[in-house]
Amino acid sequence: MEFFKKYPKTFQWLFLLIIFFALCFAIDVPETYKFIRGQAEFVKDPNQSSYVFLGKEVRYYAFDVFWRLPPLLGWLPIWINDSLFFLMNEWMPIEVWNEDTQEFKSRPIILQISRNLTAFMTFLIELIREILLGGLETIVAFTSWDWIDKNPWAELPGLPWTIVAAGAALLSYKLSGKGLALFAGLTMVYISVFGQWKPSMQTLSFILVAAPLSFIFGLGLGIAAFKSKRVEKALYPILLVMQTMPQYAVLVPALVLFGVGDHAAVIITMVVAIPPMILLTLLGLRAVPPEVIEAGRMSGCNNFQLMFKVLIPTARRDILIGVNQVIMVCFSMAVISAFIGAKGLGFNLLLALNQLNIGLALEAGLCISLIAILLDKMSLAWANKQTDYFGNLTFYQRNKNLLFFAATAIIGIILAYVGTFLFKDTFNYLFEVPHNKGISTADFWNKGVDWIFDTFFIYIKAFNTWLIQDVLQPMRALYLRMPAVATIVLIVGAGYLIGGLRSALVVCALTLFIAFSPWWDRALVTAYMATFGVVVSCIIGFTVGTLCFQNKHSANFMLSVCDIFQTFPSFVYLIPVMMLFGITDTSVLIAVIVYATIPATRYTIEGLRSVPTGLHDAATMSGVNKFQRLTKIEFPLAFPHMMLGINQTIVFALFMVIIGAFIGTEDLGQYILKALSDKKGAGIGLTLGICVAFIALIFDNLIRAYVQKRKKHLGID
Amino acid sequence: MLKENYFSKLKELPESLKQLGGLVLITIIIILSFAILNDIFGEGDELVKKMKLEEERIAKEKKLSELISKLPSGILVTFDGTDNHRLTDELYEQVCNATKLIPQRAIMGANFLNYRAHEIYTINGNKIDETFVKWDKEKNKCLAGFTVSGNNVGVDETITVSGEALSFLSTGIDTRVYFIKNF
Repeated sequence: MEFFKKYPKTFQWLFLLIIFFALCFAIDVPETYKFIRGQAEFVKDPNQSSYVFLGKEVRYYAFDVFWRLPPLLGWLPIWINDSLFFLMNEWMPIEVWNEDTQEFKSRPIILQISRNLTAFMTFLIELIREILLGGLETIVAFTSWDWIDKNPWAELPGLPWTIVAAGAALLSYKLSGKGLALFAGLTMVYISVFGQWKPSMQTLSFILVAAPLSFIFGLGLGIAAFKSKRVEKALYPILLVMQTMPQYAVLVPALVLFGVGDHAAVIITMVVAIPPMILLTLLGLRAVPPEVIEAGRMSGCNNFQLMFKVLIPTARRDILIGVNQVIMVCFSMAVISAFIGAKGLGFNLLLALNQLNIGLALEAGLCISLIAILLDKMSLAWANKQTDYFGNLTFYQRNKNLLFFAATAIIGIILAYVGTFLFKDTFNYLFEVPHNKGISTADFWNKGVDWIFDTFFIYIKAFNTWLIQDVLQPMRALYLRMPAVATIVLIVGAGYLIGGLRSALVVCALTLFIAFSPWWDRALVTAYMATFGVVVSCIIGFTVGTLCFQNKHSANFMLSVCDIFQTFPSFVYLIPVMMLFGITDTSVLIAVIVYATIPATRYTIEGLRSVPTGLHDAATMSGVNKFQRLTKIEFPLAFPHMMLGINQTIVFALFMVIIGAFIGTEDLGQYILKALSDKKGAGIGLTLGICVAFIALIFDNLIRAYVQKRKKHLGID
Repeated sequence: MLKENYFSKLKELPESLKQLGGLVLITIIIILSFAILNDIFGEGDELVKKMKLEEERIAKEKKLSELISKLPSGILVTFDGTDNHRLTDELYEQVCNATKLIPQRAIMGANFLNYRAHEIYTINGNKIDETFVKWDKEKNKCLAGFTVSGNNVGVDETITVSGEALSFLSTGIDTRVYFIKNF
């Protein structure tokens, strides 16, 4: 009793853990339980249990309910599939004029909308692609193939790589100065010289369509949410789920709705890129000081003028950070959407990874990363650039960059023309270095991989075996050994102790969704892989962050390293680990650790930096040494901020675990990957995606509740 | 009045005790809900029986697929042949049990000797109602057959063609009936 009075929280947690372990030991593993054919298989066999709901028959392997809950939501994926099929094939048929057959044809409205949308997207992508690379699809769209046959000169010529490179360098110079201009120029030269120009421009054309459209829709919805509480409330849960849902999962329904190709990839990229834009628009508009709004009103602005002349210019920085986020999401999707047929660097990377050609994958991955870093830096520079409204500049000063660009464009055209004579019998390298005709380092890297395997095979194998046999498999077995009732008691109890009844109810609902889905076992495997990644990432991140924080320069250096690493599309992380560890779970986990260490490190440094300097001085004056200051003052005060880092670490780890399915893990990601090649996979893919999002949201809810409580307790709210 | 006193006493309890009480209550509610669900969906001993049957089925299938993977690819016969692999009596039974498929080649061959079945088969667009491959314990033979049905000159007919499966085709992944002797 004395212990309870002195440490009530510890006692409550102890009580919860005792109940959890008691339930784990009290409930035996059923004799017939086998993970591999768990509950997620949709095969028919005579000994399965079944039920019918909403006309859908769900078959499953039944166990004692305390051990595993029956998949009462097993009808959901089937229902989603059937609904999509109904919408696309039967719902609201309308008469549509068919140009080819010159007669009306009956077509469901959703299918017609989807076809029109995809046709529009295809047109936009082709237009930009042909401006960058040349072609005649756009001209044909306005004329006909017959017309093109008669007028073969009418073809978009494409921009020589020298002009694009010069344009990128000039734009970078205008936004940030010499450093970025040099980087932009070198990046473009690298891409061209290494023969990656065409795929790079294909990727860029895809991003140049997806990013502006995502910006327009995100900004519009952000403004609508700012204006109306109802819209905000309606958007909130969607935004929450979309932010934690693996991008893989969204691909599957997109396949059904929009088919395969660049157009589907653009639409799905927009779906993923719009939420951060909405959130940052909302954040920016909310941060506008009331005095500014008041000043706008007093100047006689109407609502429209207030929004576009006052609020948006004031919130410009946050909105442009949103643009930066949109571009980054577009890049990460550039690889993932290659699964549904998007052309470009992502497709080449995926192809190379499939062929286990690490050298080629590395080249494509490096190009994606370089372009991503360049666009990240450019958009951030744009966000931070201050407009000089009062500068009295001459025409030349105002337009010098434009004039320089015009001059370089003329030089580029002349060079390309000269190139037609110089390279008469081969490719015009001054216009475009064709794919696979540039310098290639693939062989060098492939030989490097072989050398690594030959030299370190014994050590790598020993490490792999140790990690898999002695760490991962026992950990996986422990997770799978948890009865459903014990897991739910633990999660809901933790929710109650951390955030009260409301939090307990929220995490209970989220957990029950997963438990009632047919993939509880797979969710446990996903959770085990993510937990392993998160624990190791946090240890590394906290240590590195704390050490770097001791010196201002090292902290700044580490933050820039984190910035650069964060711009790499997630797939790129798989390349070096596959180089070292081959196709194993170890590869996935190491990629998870590397990827998830970034937020852990960043938030540790930023958390420690957020401790007021006044407290440092006070501590020093009180005679504490550096270590005492760190452990007694800085860590406790920075802890809430660092916890937000853990939150991000969990989301990053989950994303990478799901992407790791590409290598061959057996978690929820594997089923999402399977759903991609399944004609009826839309429902399964979406439900699995929601399951992953809910795992992240459970931790998000618990951590946010804890952070709020802790901040209140420390008086730093 | 009594109720009010009770509630006011509860309110006066320390926060930590109230939280512990809440935790206990939540735990009890969850366990009770599981107990109710177990009552509705739990299948007890019947489930174990069912799953054991399933285990047996899977073990049997695994054994058969192991057998198939060990068989040489090509035609397997039950009689003395020149080029083809001859099955022992024991293997013949096992292959029979493992075989599920009767390809069109074997069906067309059997149909040659059954004119009416051939006619219905052709009229129906080569549609087969069902096929079967089973081991006849009495005759120690593997029986294979199929049923065709349809309307032939205004008459609805269902014909079952069956005979001894004399040879099989091993693809390395599965085995198929290669020849049905229905004469």
